Amino acid sequence: MMLKSLKILLISILLGVSSGVYAGDEITDDFAVDEELLKIKGDPEYGEYLSGDCTACHQIDGSYNGIPSIVGWDEESFIWVMQEYKEKYREHPVMQMMAGRLANDEIAALAAYFANIE
Amino acid sequence: MTLDRRTFMGTAAAATIAAPSVFAGAHGKPRVVVVGGGAGGATAARYVAKDSKGAIDVTLIEPTRSYYTCFFSNLYLGGFKDVEDIGHSYGKIAAAGVNVVHDWAVGVDRDNKTVSLAGGSSVPYDKLILSPGIDFVDGAVDGWDLSSQNAMPHSYKAGSQTELLKAQLASMPTGGVFAMVAPPNPYRCPPGPYERVSMIAHHFKMNNPTAKIIVADPKPKFSKMGLFQEGWANHYDGMIDWIGKDFGGGEVSVDPGAMTVTIDGETTKVDVCNVIPAMKAGGIAHQAGVTDGNWAPVNAADMSSKVDPDIHVLGDSSQQGDMPKSGFSANSQAKVCANAVRGALTGSKVFPAKFSNTCWSLVATNDGIKVGATYEATEEKIAKIEGFVSKTGESAELRKATYEESEGWYSGITADMFG
Repeated sequence: MMLKSLKILLISILLGVSSGVYAGDEITDDFAVDEELLKIKGDPEYGEYLSGDCTACHQIDGSYNGIPSIVGWDEESFIWVMQEYKEKYREHPVMQMMAGRLANDEIAALAAYFANIE
Repeated sequence: MTLDRRTFMGTAAAATIAAPSVFAGAHGKPRVVVVGGGAGGATAARYVAKDSKGAIDVTLIEPTRSYYTCFFSNLYLGGFKDVEDIGHSYGKIAAAGVNVVHDWAVGVDRDNKTVSLAGGSSVPYDKLILSPGIDFVDGAVDGWDLSSQNAMPHSYKAGSQTELLKAQLASMPTGGVFAMVAPPNPYRCPPGPYERVSMIAHHFKMNNPTAKIIVADPKPKFSKMGLFQEGWANHYDGMIDWIGKDFGGGEVSVDPGAMTVTIDGETTKVDVCNVIPAMKAGGIAHQAGVTDGNWAPVNAADMSSKVDPDIHVLGDSSQQGDMPKSGFSANSQAKVCANAVRGALTGSKVFPAKFSNTCWSLVATNDGIKVGATYEATEEKIAKIEGFVSKTGESAELRKATYEESEGWYSGITADMFG
Protein backbone atom coordinates (compact mmCIF):
# COMPACT_ATOMS: atom_id res chain seq x y z
CA MET A 1 0.00 0.00 0.00
CA MET A 2 1.13 3.49 -0.77
CA LEU A 3 2.38 5.58 2.15
CA LYS A 4 -0.51 7.43 3.77
CA SER A 5 1.02 10.90 3.44
CA LEU A 6 1.79 10.31 -0.21
CA LYS A 7 -1.75 9.05 -0.75
CA ILE A 8 -3.24 12.16 0.84
CA LEU A 9 -1.03 14.39 -1.30
CA LEU A 10 -2.02 12.52 -4.45
CA ILE A 11 -5.72 12.75 -3.61
CA SER A 12 -5.40 16.46 -2.85
CA ILE A 13 -3.90 16.97 -6.28
CA LEU A 14 -6.57 14.83 -7.93
CA LEU A 15 -9.36 16.75 -6.23
CA GLY A 16 -7.69 20.08 -6.89
CA VAL A 17 -7.91 21.01 -3.20
CA SER A 18 -4.43 22.52 -3.32
CA SER A 19 -5.49 24.92 -6.05
CA GLY A 20 -8.80 25.75 -4.39
CA VAL A 21 -10.91 24.15 -7.10
CA TYR A 22 -12.92 22.17 -4.58
CA ALA A 23 -13.03 24.56 -1.66
CA GLY A 24 -15.11 23.52 1.30
CA ASP A 25 -13.83 19.98 1.05
CA GLU A 26 -11.64 19.70 4.16
CA ILE A 27 -10.06 16.47 5.35
CA THR A 28 -8.70 15.28 8.62
CA ASP A 29 -5.38 13.49 8.25
CA ASP A 30 -5.85 10.82 10.89
CA PHE A 31 -7.97 8.55 8.73
CA ALA A 32 -6.49 5.36 7.36
CA VAL A 33 -8.51 3.12 5.08
CA ASP A 34 -8.55 -0.57 5.89
CA GLU A 35 -6.12 -2.22 3.48
CA GLU A 36 -8.64 -4.96 2.79
CA LEU A 37 -11.01 -2.41 1.30
CA LEU A 38 -8.32 -1.14 -1.02
CA LYS A 39 -7.78 -4.64 -2.38
CA ILE A 40 -11.39 -5.28 -3.41
CA LYS A 41 -11.59 -5.83 -7.16
CA GLY A 42 -14.71 -4.15 -8.42
CA ASP A 43 -16.98 -5.13 -11.31
CA PRO A 44 -16.53 -2.40 -13.94
CA GLU A 45 -19.89 -3.21 -15.58
CA TYR A 46 -21.67 -2.55 -12.29
CA GLY A 47 -19.45 0.48 -11.87
CA GLU A 48 -20.57 1.82 -15.23
CA TYR A 49 -24.19 1.59 -14.12
CA LEU A 50 -23.48 3.15 -10.74
CA SER A 51 -21.49 5.92 -12.41
CA GLY A 52 -24.79 7.46 -13.48
CA ASP A 53 -24.97 8.92 -9.98
CA CYS A 54 -21.56 10.54 -10.52
CA THR A 55 -21.91 11.83 -14.07
CA ALA A 56 -24.78 14.15 -13.19
CA CYS A 57 -21.96 16.34 -11.83
CA HIS A 58 -18.55 14.90 -12.75
CA GLN A 59 -17.89 15.07 -16.47
CA ILE A 60 -16.97 11.79 -18.11
CA ASP A 61 -14.54 13.48 -20.50
CA GLY A 62 -12.50 14.72 -17.56
CA SER A 63 -13.34 18.42 -17.96
CA TYR A 64 -14.05 20.29 -14.77
CA ASN A 65 -15.09 23.65 -13.41
CA GLY A 66 -16.13 23.80 -9.78
CA ILE A 67 -16.46 20.02 -9.53
CA PRO A 68 -13.30 17.93 -9.91
CA SER A 69 -12.61 15.28 -12.52
CA ILE A 70 -12.80 11.71 -11.26
CA VAL A 71 -11.71 9.86 -14.40
CA GLY A 72 -8.41 8.05 -14.68
CA TRP A 73 -7.73 7.82 -10.95
CA ASP A 74 -5.90 4.75 -9.75
CA GLU A 75 -8.34 2.42 -8.00
CA GLU A 76 -6.74 2.72 -4.56
CA SER A 77 -6.99 6.51 -4.55
CA PHE A 78 -10.61 6.34 -5.63
CA ILE A 79 -11.52 3.84 -2.91
CA TRP A 80 -9.52 5.79 -0.33
CA VAL A 81 -11.27 9.08 -0.91
CA MET A 82 -14.72 7.52 -1.18
CA GLN A 83 -14.15 5.75 2.14
CA GLU A 84 -13.15 9.09 3.64
CA TYR A 85 -16.47 10.52 2.53
CA LYS A 86 -18.40 7.44 3.59
CA GLU A 87 -16.89 7.54 7.07
CA LYS A 88 -17.38 11.33 7.17
CA TYR A 89 -13.70 12.17 7.60
CA ARG A 90 -13.90 14.36 4.51
CA GLU A 91 -16.32 17.25 4.69
CA HIS A 92 -18.69 17.59 1.79
CA PRO A 93 -22.42 16.97 2.27
CA VAL A 94 -23.15 15.79 -1.27
CA MET A 95 -20.22 13.40 -1.37
CA GLN A 96 -20.83 12.13 2.16
CA MET A 97 -24.39 11.36 1.10
CA MET A 98 -23.43 9.71 -2.18
CA ALA A 99 -20.60 7.63 -0.68
CA GLY A 100 -22.60 6.87 2.45
CA ARG A 101 -25.14 4.78 0.58
CA LEU A 102 -22.58 2.73 -1.36
CA ALA A 103 -21.48 -0.72 -0.20
CA ASN A 104 -17.75 -1.41 -0.25
CA ASP A 105 -18.05 -3.55 -3.39
CA GLU A 106 -19.96 -0.73 -5.08
CA ILE A 107 -17.20 1.76 -4.31
CA ALA A 108 -14.71 -0.74 -5.74
CA ALA A 109 -16.92 -1.16 -8.83
CA LEU A 110 -16.88 2.58 -9.42
CA ALA A 111 -13.12 2.66 -8.88
CA ALA A 112 -12.67 -0.11 -11.45
CA TYR A 113 -14.85 1.70 -13.97
CA PHE A 114 -13.45 5.21 -13.63
CA ALA A 115 -9.83 3.98 -13.54
CA ASN A 116 -10.20 2.88 -17.15
CA ILE A 117 -11.82 6.04 -18.48
CA GLU A 118 -9.31 8.27 -20.20
CA MET B 1 -39.23 16.06 -40.93
CA THR B 2 -37.08 13.20 -42.11
CA LEU B 3 -37.42 9.69 -40.82
CA ASP B 4 -34.68 7.32 -41.82
CA ARG B 5 -36.54 4.21 -42.89
CA ARG B 6 -33.65 1.95 -41.97
CA THR B 7 -33.79 3.24 -38.42
CA PHE B 8 -37.25 1.81 -37.98
CA MET B 9 -37.21 -1.20 -40.24
CA GLY B 10 -33.88 -2.60 -39.13
CA THR B 11 -30.99 -3.67 -41.31
CA ALA B 12 -28.96 -6.78 -41.98
CA ALA B 13 -26.84 -5.77 -39.04
CA ALA B 14 -29.75 -6.62 -36.79
CA ALA B 15 -28.81 -10.28 -37.22
CA THR B 16 -25.81 -9.62 -35.01
CA ILE B 17 -27.83 -8.57 -31.95
CA ALA B 18 -26.33 -10.24 -28.92
CA ALA B 19 -29.51 -11.61 -27.39
CA PRO B 20 -32.32 -11.49 -29.93
CA SER B 21 -34.20 -14.25 -28.16
CA VAL B 22 -35.10 -11.84 -25.37
CA PHE B 23 -36.92 -9.60 -27.75
CA ALA B 24 -37.94 -11.52 -30.83
CA GLY B 25 -39.60 -8.78 -32.84
CA ALA B 26 -40.45 -9.42 -36.48
CA HIS B 27 -39.04 -6.04 -37.35
CA GLY B 28 -35.38 -6.50 -36.52
CA LYS B 29 -33.85 -4.34 -33.85
CA PRO B 30 -35.96 -3.41 -30.85
CA ARG B 31 -37.16 0.18 -30.94
CA VAL B 32 -37.20 2.71 -28.16
CA VAL B 33 -39.01 5.98 -28.70
CA VAL B 34 -38.42 8.83 -26.28
CA VAL B 35 -40.79 11.81 -26.19
CA GLY B 36 -39.28 14.97 -24.74
CA GLY B 37 -35.65 16.06 -24.93
CA GLY B 38 -35.04 17.54 -21.47
CA ALA B 39 -33.19 16.22 -18.45
CA GLY B 40 -35.16 12.96 -18.45
CA GLY B 41 -35.67 12.28 -22.15
CA ALA B 42 -32.33 13.41 -23.55
CA THR B 43 -30.50 11.44 -20.88
CA ALA B 44 -32.62 8.33 -21.45
CA ALA B 45 -32.16 8.46 -25.24
CA ARG B 46 -28.43 8.97 -24.94
CA TYR B 47 -27.93 6.22 -22.36
CA VAL B 48 -30.03 3.61 -24.17
CA ALA B 49 -28.14 4.32 -27.40
CA LYS B 50 -24.72 4.50 -25.75
CA ASP B 51 -25.08 1.41 -23.59
CA SER B 52 -26.81 -0.79 -26.18
CA LYS B 53 -24.01 -0.10 -28.67
CA GLY B 54 -26.31 -0.17 -31.66
CA ALA B 55 -28.47 -3.11 -30.58
CA ILE B 56 -31.49 -0.83 -30.03
CA ASP B 57 -32.87 1.77 -32.42
CA VAL B 58 -33.50 4.94 -30.43
CA THR B 59 -35.69 7.81 -31.63
CA LEU B 60 -35.96 11.06 -29.68
CA ILE B 61 -38.97 13.25 -30.46
CA GLU B 62 -38.50 16.85 -29.36
CA PRO B 63 -40.14 19.85 -31.04
CA THR B 64 -37.44 22.42 -30.32
CA ARG B 65 -34.10 22.46 -32.09
CA SER B 66 -32.49 24.44 -29.28
CA TYR B 67 -33.36 23.37 -25.77
CA TYR B 68 -33.17 25.98 -23.02
CA THR B 69 -32.75 24.49 -19.57
CA CYS B 70 -35.21 25.63 -16.94
CA PHE B 71 -32.45 25.15 -14.39
CA PHE B 72 -30.10 28.15 -14.44
CA SER B 73 -32.73 30.22 -16.32
CA ASN B 74 -33.14 32.24 -13.11
CA LEU B 75 -29.43 33.10 -13.29
CA TYR B 76 -30.11 34.55 -16.72
CA LEU B 77 -32.88 36.70 -15.17
CA GLY B 78 -30.39 37.84 -12.53
CA GLY B 79 -27.80 38.81 -15.12
CA PHE B 80 -25.36 36.03 -14.21
CA LYS B 81 -25.83 34.15 -17.51
CA ASP B 82 -26.56 34.98 -21.11
CA VAL B 83 -29.42 33.20 -22.82
CA GLU B 84 -26.88 31.37 -25.00
CA ASP B 85 -25.38 29.85 -21.85
CA ILE B 86 -28.55 27.86 -21.16
CA GLY B 87 -29.27 26.78 -24.77
CA HIS B 88 -28.26 23.37 -26.11
CA SER B 89 -28.60 21.59 -29.45
CA TYR B 90 -29.18 17.91 -30.13
CA GLY B 91 -26.29 17.55 -32.57
CA LYS B 92 -24.13 15.39 -30.33
CA ILE B 93 -27.04 13.12 -29.43
CA ALA B 94 -27.72 12.62 -33.13
CA ALA B 95 -24.04 11.98 -33.79
CA ALA B 96 -24.13 9.33 -31.07
CA GLY B 97 -26.69 7.36 -33.08
CA VAL B 98 -30.02 8.65 -31.76
CA ASN B 99 -32.57 9.44 -34.46
CA VAL B 100 -33.57 12.96 -33.42
CA VAL B 101 -36.96 14.00 -34.80
CA HIS B 102 -38.01 17.62 -34.33
CA ASP B 103 -41.77 17.35 -34.21
CA TRP B 104 -44.61 17.29 -31.68
CA ALA B 105 -45.80 13.92 -30.44
CA VAL B 106 -49.58 14.32 -30.51
CA GLY B 107 -50.89 10.84 -29.87
CA VAL B 108 -50.04 7.40 -28.53
CA ASP B 109 -51.76 4.26 -29.83
CA ARG B 110 -51.01 1.79 -27.06
CA ASP B 111 -52.63 -1.14 -28.83
CA ASN B 112 -50.57 -0.77 -31.99
CA LYS B 113 -47.62 0.72 -30.09
CA THR B 114 -47.15 3.80 -32.22
CA VAL B 115 -46.62 7.49 -31.55
CA SER B 116 -48.26 9.91 -33.97
CA LEU B 117 -46.58 13.18 -34.82
CA ALA B 118 -48.05 16.58 -35.66
CA GLY B 119 -46.30 16.35 -39.04
CA GLY B 120 -48.46 13.36 -39.92
CA SER B 121 -45.99 10.50 -39.40
CA SER B 122 -46.36 7.59 -37.07
CA VAL B 123 -43.40 6.10 -35.20
CA PRO B 124 -43.55 2.50 -33.92
CA TYR B 125 -42.07 1.51 -30.57
CA ASP B 126 -41.41 -1.52 -28.46
CA LYS B 127 -40.74 0.61 -25.39
CA LEU B 128 -41.94 4.18 -25.10
CA ILE B 129 -40.33 6.65 -22.69
CA LEU B 130 -42.39 9.77 -21.98
CA SER B 131 -40.57 12.71 -20.47
CA PRO B 132 -42.66 15.68 -21.57
CA GLY B 133 -42.14 17.93 -18.54
CA ILE B 134 -45.03 20.01 -17.30
CA ASP B 135 -48.15 21.72 -18.54
CA PHE B 136 -50.34 24.13 -16.59
CA VAL B 137 -53.66 23.31 -14.95
CA ASP B 138 -56.46 25.24 -16.66
CA GLY B 139 -58.10 27.86 -14.45
CA ALA B 140 -55.48 27.49 -11.72
CA VAL B 141 -55.07 31.25 -11.30
CA ASP B 142 -58.29 33.25 -11.61
CA GLY B 143 -57.99 35.60 -14.58
CA TRP B 144 -54.99 33.91 -16.21
CA ASP B 145 -54.78 31.47 -19.10
CA LEU B 146 -52.22 30.73 -21.78
CA SER B 147 -53.53 33.59 -23.92
CA SER B 148 -52.31 35.90 -21.13
CA GLN B 149 -48.76 34.61 -21.12
CA ASN B 150 -47.36 37.58 -23.01
CA ALA B 151 -48.85 40.10 -20.58
CA MET B 152 -48.08 37.97 -17.56
CA PRO B 153 -45.45 35.37 -18.47
CA HIS B 154 -45.04 32.09 -16.60
CA SER B 155 -41.42 31.70 -17.69
CA TYR B 156 -41.54 28.18 -16.29
CA LYS B 157 -40.68 26.55 -19.60
CA ALA B 158 -37.39 28.17 -20.45
CA GLY B 159 -36.73 30.00 -23.70
CA SER B 160 -38.81 32.78 -25.21
CA GLN B 161 -40.91 33.08 -22.04
CA THR B 162 -37.76 33.65 -19.98
CA GLU B 163 -36.47 36.23 -22.45
CA LEU B 164 -39.84 37.98 -22.33
CA LEU B 165 -39.80 38.26 -18.54
CA LYS B 166 -36.21 39.52 -18.63
CA ALA B 167 -37.17 42.22 -21.14
CA GLN B 168 -40.16 43.26 -19.04
CA LEU B 169 -37.99 43.54 -15.93
CA ALA B 170 -35.44 45.63 -17.83
CA SER B 171 -38.09 48.11 -18.94
CA MET B 172 -39.79 48.46 -15.56
CA PRO B 173 -40.12 52.05 -14.34
CA THR B 174 -37.96 53.27 -11.49
CA GLY B 175 -39.47 52.15 -8.21
CA GLY B 176 -41.95 49.87 -10.02
CA VAL B 177 -43.65 46.77 -8.66
CA PHE B 178 -42.99 43.17 -9.68
CA ALA B 179 -45.44 40.49 -8.54
CA MET B 180 -45.10 36.73 -8.62
CA VAL B 181 -47.95 34.29 -8.22
CA ALA B 182 -46.21 31.17 -6.85
CA PRO B 183 -47.55 27.66 -7.57
CA PRO B 184 -49.07 25.10 -5.19
CA ASN B 185 -47.34 21.76 -4.57
CA PRO B 186 -46.31 19.65 -6.37
CA TYR B 187 -44.52 21.56 -9.09
CA ARG B 188 -41.32 21.64 -11.11
CA CYS B 189 -38.21 22.75 -9.19
CA PRO B 190 -39.40 23.44 -5.62
CA PRO B 191 -36.78 26.16 -4.91
CA GLY B 192 -37.22 27.66 -8.41
CA PRO B 193 -39.73 30.45 -7.65
CA TYR B 194 -37.67 31.61 -4.67
CA GLU B 195 -34.38 31.53 -6.53
CA ARG B 196 -36.19 33.57 -9.17
CA VAL B 197 -37.31 36.11 -6.55
CA SER B 198 -33.68 36.29 -5.39
CA MET B 199 -32.34 36.80 -8.90
CA ILE B 200 -34.93 39.45 -9.75
CA ALA B 201 -34.11 41.20 -6.47
CA HIS B 202 -30.46 41.12 -7.48
CA HIS B 203 -31.34 42.64 -10.83
CA PHE B 204 -33.30 45.41 -9.09
CA LYS B 205 -30.53 46.05 -6.58
CA MET B 206 -28.14 46.62 -9.47
CA ASN B 207 -30.50 48.50 -11.79
CA ASN B 208 -33.65 49.68 -10.02
CA PRO B 209 -32.98 49.67 -6.27
CA THR B 210 -36.29 51.24 -5.22
CA ALA B 211 -38.36 48.60 -7.03
CA LYS B 212 -40.53 46.27 -4.94
CA ILE B 213 -41.33 42.56 -5.13
CA ILE B 214 -44.62 41.00 -3.99
CA VAL B 215 -44.97 37.22 -3.86
CA ALA B 216 -48.44 35.69 -3.46
CA ASP B 217 -47.96 32.10 -2.37
CA PRO B 218 -50.67 29.46 -1.79
CA LYS B 219 -48.21 27.53 0.43
CA PRO B 220 -47.51 28.22 4.11
CA LYS B 221 -43.83 27.35 3.63
CA PHE B 222 -41.45 26.52 0.78
CA SER B 223 -38.20 24.78 -0.12
CA LYS B 224 -35.09 26.16 1.63
CA MET B 225 -37.36 28.80 3.19
CA GLY B 226 -35.09 29.72 6.10
CA LEU B 227 -32.10 30.00 3.78
CA PHE B 228 -33.88 32.18 1.24
CA GLN B 229 -35.39 34.43 3.88
CA GLU B 230 -32.00 34.83 5.54
CA GLY B 231 -30.53 35.78 2.16
CA TRP B 232 -33.35 38.19 1.36
CA ALA B 233 -32.79 39.97 4.68
CA ASN B 234 -29.02 40.06 4.14
CA HIS B 235 -28.99 41.19 0.53
CA TYR B 236 -32.35 42.75 -0.29
CA ASP B 237 -33.65 44.12 2.99
CA GLY B 238 -37.15 45.60 2.65
CA MET B 239 -37.51 44.84 -1.05
CA ILE B 240 -39.43 41.53 -0.90
CA ASP B 241 -42.92 41.06 0.54
CA TRP B 242 -43.70 37.33 0.67
CA ILE B 243 -47.39 36.68 1.39
CA GLY B 244 -47.90 33.05 2.33
CA LYS B 245 -51.07 31.02 2.68
CA ASP B 246 -51.60 32.11 6.27
CA PHE B 247 -51.82 35.73 5.12
CA GLY B 248 -54.11 35.18 2.13
CA GLY B 249 -51.41 34.40 -0.45
CA GLY B 250 -53.58 31.66 -1.91
CA GLU B 251 -56.53 33.98 -2.55
CA VAL B 252 -55.28 35.45 -5.81
CA SER B 253 -56.73 36.72 -9.04
CA VAL B 254 -55.06 38.65 -11.83
CA ASP B 255 -56.22 40.99 -14.56
CA PRO B 256 -53.67 40.85 -17.38
CA GLY B 257 -55.41 43.68 -19.26
CA ALA B 258 -55.36 46.11 -16.35
CA MET B 259 -52.06 44.68 -14.98
CA THR B 260 -53.49 44.25 -11.52
CA VAL B 261 -53.10 41.51 -8.93
CA THR B 262 -55.69 40.99 -6.22
CA ILE B 263 -54.45 39.22 -3.10
CA ASP B 264 -56.95 38.40 -0.36
CA GLY B 265 -59.28 41.14 -1.62
CA GLU B 266 -56.66 43.85 -2.00
CA THR B 267 -55.94 44.96 -5.57
CA THR B 268 -52.51 46.26 -6.54
CA LYS B 269 -51.38 47.78 -9.84
CA VAL B 270 -48.16 46.09 -10.91
CA ASP B 271 -45.62 46.72 -13.66
CA VAL B 272 -44.54 43.13 -14.26
CA CYS B 273 -46.32 39.96 -13.17
CA ASN B 274 -44.95 36.44 -13.29
CA VAL B 275 -47.79 33.92 -12.96
CA ILE B 276 -46.59 30.38 -12.22
CA PRO B 277 -49.80 28.31 -12.26
CA ALA B 278 -50.47 24.88 -10.78
CA MET B 279 -48.89 22.16 -12.91
CA LYS B 280 -49.69 18.78 -14.38
CA ALA B 281 -47.91 16.20 -16.52
CA GLY B 282 -47.09 17.19 -20.09
CA GLY B 283 -50.02 16.76 -22.48
CA ILE B 284 -48.81 13.60 -24.23
CA ALA B 285 -48.86 11.69 -20.92
CA HIS B 286 -52.57 12.48 -20.57
CA GLN B 287 -53.18 11.69 -24.22
CA ALA B 288 -51.48 8.31 -23.76
CA GLY B 289 -53.88 7.53 -20.93
CA VAL B 290 -51.18 6.85 -18.36
CA THR B 291 -52.14 9.62 -15.93
CA ASP B 292 -54.25 9.49 -12.80
CA GLY B 293 -55.34 13.04 -12.10
CA ASN B 294 -52.55 15.48 -12.86
CA TRP B 295 -49.59 13.07 -12.92
CA ALA B 296 -48.53 9.67 -14.27
CA PRO B 297 -48.05 7.01 -11.57
CA VAL B 298 -44.96 4.83 -12.09
CA ASN B 299 -43.30 1.80 -10.56
CA ALA B 300 -40.23 2.89 -8.64
CA ALA B 301 -37.99 0.01 -9.77
CA ASP B 302 -37.90 1.00 -13.44
CA MET B 303 -40.12 4.09 -13.88
CA SER B 304 -42.62 2.01 -15.87
CA SER B 305 -46.19 3.25 -15.97
CA LYS B 306 -48.61 1.59 -13.58
CA VAL B 307 -51.05 1.52 -16.50
CA ASP B 308 -48.87 0.13 -19.31
CA PRO B 309 -45.62 -1.82 -18.75
CA ASP B 310 -44.27 -0.81 -22.17
CA ILE B 311 -44.46 2.88 -21.32
CA HIS B 312 -42.06 4.57 -18.90
CA VAL B 313 -42.61 8.08 -17.56
CA LEU B 314 -39.72 10.20 -16.32
CA GLY B 315 -39.15 13.43 -14.50
CA ASP B 316 -41.72 16.11 -13.79
CA SER B 317 -44.62 14.19 -15.35
CA SER B 318 -44.20 11.13 -13.19
CA GLN B 319 -45.81 10.49 -9.85
CA GLN B 320 -43.09 8.46 -8.22
CA GLY B 321 -43.00 9.24 -4.52
CA ASP B 322 -40.49 11.32 -2.60
CA MET B 323 -38.22 12.82 -5.27
CA PRO B 324 -38.69 16.50 -6.07
CA LYS B 325 -39.54 17.41 -9.65
CA SER B 326 -36.09 18.59 -10.72
CA GLY B 327 -33.72 18.22 -13.65
CA PHE B 328 -31.34 16.27 -11.44
CA SER B 329 -34.13 13.87 -10.44
CA ALA B 330 -35.20 13.37 -14.06
CA ASN B 331 -31.60 12.68 -15.08
CA SER B 332 -31.25 10.16 -12.24
CA GLN B 333 -34.54 8.43 -13.10
CA ALA B 334 -33.55 8.30 -16.78
CA LYS B 335 -30.49 6.19 -16.04
CA VAL B 336 -32.45 3.69 -13.98
CA CYS B 337 -35.06 3.54 -16.74
CA ALA B 338 -32.46 3.20 -19.52
CA ASN B 339 -30.83 0.28 -17.72
CA ALA B 340 -34.19 -1.47 -17.26
CA VAL B 341 -35.37 -0.84 -20.83
CA ARG B 342 -32.12 -2.09 -22.31
CA GLY B 343 -32.31 -5.19 -20.11
CA ALA B 344 -35.88 -5.91 -21.21
CA LEU B 345 -35.04 -5.54 -24.89
CA THR B 346 -31.59 -7.13 -25.14
CA GLY B 347 -31.23 -9.30 -22.05
CA SER B 348 -28.43 -7.13 -20.65
CA LYS B 349 -27.93 -7.15 -16.89
CA VAL B 350 -30.38 -5.00 -14.95
CA PHE B 351 -29.01 -3.49 -11.77
CA PRO B 352 -31.06 -2.33 -8.80
CA ALA B 353 -32.51 1.18 -8.94
CA LYS B 354 -30.63 3.96 -7.14
CA PHE B 355 -31.73 7.55 -7.30
CA SER B 356 -30.30 10.85 -6.10
CA ASN B 357 -31.02 14.54 -6.31
CA THR B 358 -29.27 17.80 -5.49
CA CYS B 359 -30.66 21.27 -6.15
CA TRP B 360 -28.41 24.31 -5.98
CA SER B 361 -29.89 27.82 -5.80
CA LEU B 362 -28.25 31.20 -6.08
CA VAL B 363 -29.43 33.85 -3.60
CA ALA B 364 -27.01 36.65 -4.54
CA THR B 365 -23.53 37.04 -6.00
CA ASN B 366 -21.42 34.13 -4.69
CA ASP B 367 -24.15 33.12 -2.24
CA GLY B 368 -25.08 29.59 -3.24
CA ILE B 369 -27.16 27.11 -1.22
CA LYS B 370 -28.12 23.50 -1.85
CA VAL B 371 -30.37 20.66 -0.80
CA GLY B 372 -30.07 17.00 -1.71
CA ALA B 373 -31.08 13.45 -0.92
CA THR B 374 -30.65 9.82 -1.93
CA TYR B 375 -33.57 7.54 -2.72
CA GLU B 376 -34.38 3.88 -3.21
CA ALA B 377 -37.13 1.95 -4.94
CA THR B 378 -39.73 0.30 -2.74
CA GLU B 379 -42.85 -1.58 -3.80
CA GLU B 380 -44.89 1.50 -3.06
CA LYS B 381 -42.75 4.41 -4.30
CA ILE B 382 -39.35 6.04 -4.66
CA ALA B 383 -38.52 6.52 -1.01
CA LYS B 384 -36.08 8.96 0.53
CA ILE B 385 -33.10 7.46 2.36
CA GLU B 386 -30.99 10.37 3.56
CA GLY B 387 -30.69 14.08 2.83
CA PHE B 388 -28.93 17.31 3.66
CA VAL B 389 -29.53 21.02 3.28
CA SER B 390 -27.25 24.05 3.56
CA LYS B 391 -27.34 25.75 6.94
CA THR B 392 -28.19 29.34 7.78
CA GLY B 393 -25.18 31.35 8.89
CA GLU B 394 -22.67 29.53 6.70
CA SER B 395 -19.42 31.33 5.86
CA ALA B 396 -19.14 33.46 2.73
CA GLU B 397 -16.32 31.17 1.61
CA LEU B 398 -18.54 28.08 1.77
CA ARG B 399 -21.41 29.86 0.00
CA LYS B 400 -19.04 30.91 -2.79
CA ALA B 401 -17.76 27.33 -3.06
CA THR B 402 -21.36 26.10 -3.27
CA TYR B 403 -22.07 28.50 -6.12
CA GLU B 404 -18.91 27.42 -7.95
CA GLU B 405 -20.00 23.83 -7.43
CA SER B 406 -23.33 24.61 -9.05
CA GLU B 407 -21.50 25.90 -12.09
CA GLY B 408 -19.65 22.58 -12.24
CA TRP B 409 -22.90 20.69 -11.88
CA TYR B 410 -24.48 22.63 -14.75
CA SER B 411 -21.58 21.73 -17.01
CA GLY B 412 -21.75 18.13 -15.81
CA ILE B 413 -25.47 17.51 -16.18
CA THR B 414 -25.76 19.21 -19.55
CA ALA B 415 -22.84 17.13 -20.82
CA ASP B 416 -24.61 14.07 -19.43
CA MET B 417 -27.86 15.05 -21.17
CA PHE B 418 -26.65 16.31 -24.52
CA GLY B 419 -23.24 14.62 -24.89
